[in-house]
Order: sequence, then structure tokens, then C-alpha cells
Amino acid sequence: MTWLRRRIRPEQIREFSLLLLIVVAVLIFGSAIDNYYTSRTFNRIASSVMIITVVAVGQTLVVLTRNIDLSVGSIVGCTAYVAGVRIAADNGLPAIVPVLIAVALGAAMGAINGVLVAWGRVPSIIVTLGTLAIFRGLLVDYSGARTVTTDSLPPWLVDLPRLDLFTLAGLHVKVMVALALAIVIAFQLATSYLTFARQFYALGSNPDAADLIGLPTRRIVLTAFVLSGALSGLAGFMTLARFGNITVEAGRGLELEVVAAAVVGGVNIFGGSGTVIGAMLGGVMIGTLEQSLLRLQINEFWRDAVMGLLILLAVASDAVILKRLRALWARADLEMIARSAPRTGEAP
Amino acid sequence: MEGAAVDRRSDAPAVNAPMLNLRDITKRFGATQALEGVSLTLRAGRVHALLGENGAGKSTLIKIMTGVHQPDHGEMLLAGRPLRLASAAEAQRHGIAAIYQEPLLFPDLNVAENIFISHQDRGAVTNWRQMFRRAEEILASLGVALDVRSPARGLTLAAQQSVEIAKAISLNVRVLIMDEPTASLSSHEVAQLFKLVRDLREKDVAILFVSHRMEEVFEIADDVTVFRDGRLISTRPRAEVTPQRAIADMVGREMGLLQPRSPAKLGEKLLSVRGLGRDGAFEDVSFDLRRGEVLGFAGLIGAGRTDVGLALFGIEPATSGQIVLDGRAVTIRSPRQAMALGIAYSSEDRRQLGLSLPMSIATNITLPVLSRYLNWLGLVRTGMERATAEAFRRRLAIRTPSVDIAVSKLSGGNQQKVMLSKWLNTHPALLILDEPTRGIDVGAKAEVHAIIGELAAEGIGIIMISSDLPEVLAMSDRVLVMREGRQMAVLDRDGADQESVMAAAMGQSTARQPSGAEA
Repeated sequence: MTWLRRRIRPEQIREFSLLLLIVVAVLIFGSAIDNYYTSRTFNRIASSVMIITVVAVGQTLVVLTRNIDLSVGSIVGCTAYVAGVRIAADNGLPAIVPVLIAVALGAAMGAINGVLVAWGRVPSIIVTLGTLAIFRGLLVDYSGARTVTTDSLPPWLVDLPRLDLFTLAGLHVKVMVALALAIVIAFQLATSYLTFARQFYALGSNPDAADLIGLPTRRIVLTAFVLSGALSGLAGFMTLARFGNITVEAGRGLELEVVAAAVVGGVNIFGGSGTVIGAMLGGVMIGTLEQSLLRLQINEFWRDAVMGLLILLAVASDAVILKRLRALWARADLEMIARSAPRTGEAP
Repeated sequence: MEGAAVDRRSDAPAVNAPMLNLRDITKRFGATQALEGVSLTLRAGRVHALLGENGAGKSTLIKIMTGVHQPDHGEMLLAGRPLRLASAAEAQRHGIAAIYQEPLLFPDLNVAENIFISHQDRGAVTNWRQMFRRAEEILASLGVALDVRSPARGLTLAAQQSVEIAKAISLNVRVLIMDEPTASLSSHEVAQLFKLVRDLREKDVAILFVSHRMEEVFEIADDVTVFRDGRLISTRPRAEVTPQRAIADMVGREMGLLQPRSPAKLGEKLLSVRGLGRDGAFEDVSFDLRRGEVLGFAGLIGAGRTDVGLALFGIEPATSGQIVLDGRAVTIRSPRQAMALGIAYSSEDRRQLGLSLPMSIATNITLPVLSRYLNWLGLVRTGMERATAEAFRRRLAIRTPSVDIAVSKLSGGNQQKVMLSKWLNTHPALLILDEPTRGIDVGAKAEVHAIIGELAAEGIGIIMISSDLPEVLAMSDRVLVMREGRQMAVLDRDGADQESVMAAAMGQSTARQPSGAEA
């Protein structure tokens, strides 16, 4: 137990507590909904969560640095439309082209946010609230309110959402779901081990100290916004593939779901702590609630209210659990110090 | 001194060789001449103390040495080579590190990562096992027991400073600047810190030690430099300086050390506390306080002194014991109730709990009793507010161009006076002062002491919690000593001296003086 406690900190267990909450939610819905435990439910939840998750990974990076990116919904809309128009104009383009277009455009839009926040010294909530509207406005102007339609897209793109990577015990794991999962794992590893990524945590934890020890704070903020934009671009491509029909409304309101996913996932809105995996679990939690409440045929307006309530409950219970765990650890630490005290007392 | 230096010269590096030379450093901020022609030499293996009132230019000098500011004029030499610092990070690369009163750690990162965060050679990928091991090695070499995996959040200030020192050591520091590192530490923690400082001195680190506590300076320093108004007034080996001399240099006039306050005429019994306790914080505290009396609360930080103050003011109400105020048994459940009973509590944490820094002096002073300043519409009568503030400005000699100025613009000493004004404006019968002179300069400290003396003479009963032992001894009629949540002794003025108070605070004497509950 002592060994375990020294290696695991309460902050690392919070993901498990969220996982536990998801399991509880699934059990509750499973008892209330017939035929809940099927691969269809899994697929529905997975494909509704995958887009939120990819964007939430980028959002997590931004929030870690004590910023927020509210423009992600508009970036998803813009990149989905632009990539869609391009591939619709020439169905013979290699698959990588629309992906690259979406990611590069998203990164460029993220760079605008990042430069304004890091060099313009404008609070990120203001910058991204502005670009949220500006990017959407540009999309409306560029598209002339026309729509990308499914029949204009190449068959491979239309079929992509149904493409299985592999099938395991009756669960069809889609290529796009696997892609989202791969991104989560890659960014989780990067934020745990890459020295540059650790600086995201440092900056969000204490910006003054980060400045003083000479961390490249502006570059860190810019990188976070560029990555958030790029991942939103990728999510834009996934949106194009999933829905096929892309209007100027694509991705509208997504930013709130994404921020909710990150916060439910234990990412501190004031920066410095939280994990990519946590944000994914937050997304899964929200996706599970959303899809399950839909199956329960609850009135749409009530659904939002119930969602909000459940999010508050999730965050509150998470806070309580974390507090309990911290107290447990602190008491154990005190005991450890008390045990070693007689020895250190004799030293001088 | 010189003899010791010669003995050890056989091994390179030469002991007491100049490590950092400052020559003719000048710095101006707008109309303020912060530093003027300062030349200073820090030597390897020596602790150089820097003394000066607030605003004397110490902070500016530190910021220039750590690359935060660049001098307008003058040059720096590091081990004989010209040094130009464009940023704090560059100073760190040259082995110049600073430790501040409030350590600048990253609360969400663990101890090990805090130690190695600014390492250039950390590599692109973090090897956590190796980092934990190296952090453990460094902390062990310092004799500090800390879990390197625990987040810095929640560490005591002393532990945070140990982490800062470990960080400096891991960076192979050559010049270590310590800016008031002891201001928030208990004496026991100060002793541990000084042990670390002596170890670093053995390792030929040049140390600049800034402190307001004269005793500490004379305990640890090899050389003493005094600043005043942006100029270097004197630099002498410690052996050639006396505290009185240093203070005279600081204030520019001869001035005694703390003069004992002449005891005021004691009035009738104001407060009687019996067996007071709060679960987990303190227990069985009993004392009496008469009008016009100053009761000092001595003890190490964490001894529970502030908790008693918080209980009497109702912020963290007591869970056991009796309080009799003016002959009436009272239970105090909230600050509002305490204020109605004529109790005021001036917090030790001026910036967080004591004052609203962005607000003006006048609004701060009237805040606790704002209802007195409302007109029939419920709006604040600013003229009346300002008149009160002006009265306190004259009475306590608050130095400010206007009472409409934001409190954040004032020096620490003047902020303290504003806080005192705020609580005096509630017309308290009992005034609890928690660390009333922490972090303020010598001149302001003497003024605050004079004010406390006057208030006692006016018949206010005063409880003064302070970690500054000479201050407690000079100001108090009696001294109550606490240790680990227990009352160890109540000492009369004649029975209280540094040794007896420290002995009680360290738990070496458990005998409770019979005068404790009576007096």
C-alpha cells in the first residue's frame, strides 16, 4: 500500500473515478433501455464522441496554458466546408489532400488566435469569441450559403464512416474511431513525456514563474492554439466524412460541448492540471448521456437540462472524490514523516 | 578571515575570489532613481548580507543581477568576465539563481519536475525514473525529507524553499541571491535554512542574503552592505559592524534598537479566556487581558497562535472553552458578532486577507463599518468617508499624496497603517494584531510600535501575535508562549527574555507559570 501510494497520486486516480461514473451511468441506462448493450449503441456513442474528442484534445492543450479556444466550432465548420468543396470539385484527388487542406487551414486559423493572444496580449476568451464570429462570417461569405452535398463527394469518403478497422467480439471498431483514439494516445504520451509539452503544465500552473525561468511562454501559447486549430481541422474532415452534407451551420455550438468534455474530464479551467485521457473520458461521458437520453425519448429541451445537471453532478462528485483522496494521502504522508521524525531529530 | 582563506588556497578554486563584480550600476525608472553608482563584489564562499529600508534599491539590484532588468549604466563581471544578461533565463544559465520570500514553484508539477524544469539538458523526452532518482539524491544531500512525486501544491513555505535550493544546486549555482527567505519561516525552519546556506558556502557559492531581521543577518553573514535611497552606504566585514551601526546607516540617523515600551497603566479586566480550543488546531488556552495591556503571543509558526486569534474573531470559532468579555460570557460564532462585541483582528496576510489592494485608502478604512457612512438613500457618503480617512492619515502618519490612492501603491509599512486604521475605525475594545510588522522596513516598524503603545495607553486591550521575538519582548506586558497548539507558558515582563521564551516555544520547559491564568 505504501509503495502504491508513493507511485500513484490522487490526481492520477481521478480518471479512474470518471471511468467509474461512466460505468455507473451505462449500468443505469442499461436497466432502463431495452437492447442497450448492443454494438449499435456502442457505435452510435463512439461516432458521436470521436469528433468531440479530437477537438477536446486540442482544447485541453489550450486550457492547460490558462487559455480557452472558443473558435473551434467555427474552425470545424470552415475546414469541413473548404475541404468538401475541394474534393467535390475533383473527386479523383488522393485521400490525403482533403485531410491536409482541413488540417493546414485549421492550423492557420489557430495561429491567428495564438498570435493575437501571445503577442497581442488580448485575453484568449475575447480573441476566440471574436474569431468564433469572424471565421463563421467568412464561411458564410465564401460559401454564399451554398451546401456541400453527399452526392458530390467521392464514394470512398461517403463510405469512410462505415469502414471497420477490425471487429472484436461483435464490436465494430471504425477507422475514424480508431484515429481519434490514436490521437488521444499520442497526445497523452506527448504531454506526459515530451519536455516541451510539460512546459504547457508549467505555464498554466504559474505564469509568472514560467516567465522568470525563461520558458518560451509565447511560443508555448502559440503552439497550443495551432495544435487546437489543426485538430479542429482534422475534426472538420471527420465531420465532412460523417455527415456528407456541410452547410454554413456545420460545427456550430461544438465549442461548448468540447469545453464541457474537458472540464468534466478534470481539466482545470484555470490551467496547469488535467490530462488528454481525462478530456476523452469527459467526451465519452457526455456522448453516453446524450445518446442514452435520446434513446429514452426525453423531450429535447429537457434533455439539455438533464445533461447540464448530470455534468454538474459529475464535476461535483469528482471534486469530492479528489478531496477525499487528497486527505487520505496527506494523512499517510504525515504518518510517514512522523515515523521518520525521530531519526532526523537526532541528526544535528 | 584572511588566514582561513590562505589555508585553503592550495585547492582551486581560490576561496573568496570575486565571483560577481558590479561596477557603477545605475538604473532609473521614469522619475525615480532606483540605483545610483552601485559597486558591489560578491565573493565565492561568502555570505554577503544586504540591508536597507523598503525602497532602498535592493529589489532593483536583485532584478539586475538576475537579468530581469538591465542597468542603464555600469557593468557586471562574472568570475572576471564581462556579463550581459538579457533575461532571467540567461542569468540562470550563467549560474545565477534567486530565491524569493514567496518561492516561485509550479504548484501542479511534482517536486522533481520543479527542480529540473529549467534544465537545458533535460532532453526532449523526460525520463521520469531518472529524474525522480536525481531529485531524491539532491534532496538527500540537503538532508531534506520530501516526496519527490508529490505536487508542490500544499508544501509548506519552508519545504518550497528547500525545493528552490535543490533547484539552484542542480543548476550548479555560482551566485545565489536570497531575497528575504526567512520572512515567513518559524525559527526552527530558519535554523534549517541556515544550515543549507552554510553548506552552500562550503561549496564556494557566493551568496547575497537580503533580510529585515537583524539577528539573522548577524548570525549568517560574512559581509554586510547597507543601502539607502538607491546608493550603497557602507560595506564592511561583519566583525566590524554592530546592529546599531547598520541601522544608523540604513535610516541615516542614529537610532536605538527596539526600545522596551514603557508599560501603560493597566485598567480593569477586559477579557478572560478559559480552556479555549478548536479541534485539530489548539487546545486548553487560558489567559486574562486587562485594558491597556499588550499580551504578546510568541511561538513558532504553526504553533496555533493565529488559530487562537481566528477563534476570538469568530472566523474559525472555538469548539471548547469559555470566553468572558467585559464580565459577560460570550460565544463568538462570526466576525460580524465579534465586531459587535468590540473585537478587531488585523490579519497577518495583508495582501490576501487584510486589504483590498486595488481600492482606495478611504474605502479600505471604512469597509468594515460601511453602514455608518450611508445616507438615507443607502448610498455611501464619500465626503464623510474621506474625512475619516484623513483623520487616520494624520493620526498614524500614513505617507500618501491622497487618501483616494489605491492601497496597492503604498509601501508595506503604510499598508499596515491603513489596515490598523481600518480596525481602529471599528472602535475596538480588544485589538488582535497578527504579525503587525512583517515585511515592513525598520522606520515603519518603529512607527507601528509607537502606535501600538499609544493604543494601549488609550485603554485598548491588545493581543500581539508576532514571530519577531525581540519585538514581542519589547512590546508586551506579558508573553504567552504556544507550541503545537498548546499553551506552554505565560511569562511576566521580568521573566520573559529570548532564552525563556524560546525554551518554552521549543518545548524544553513544560512548567506552566502560575501567573498564567491569574494576573
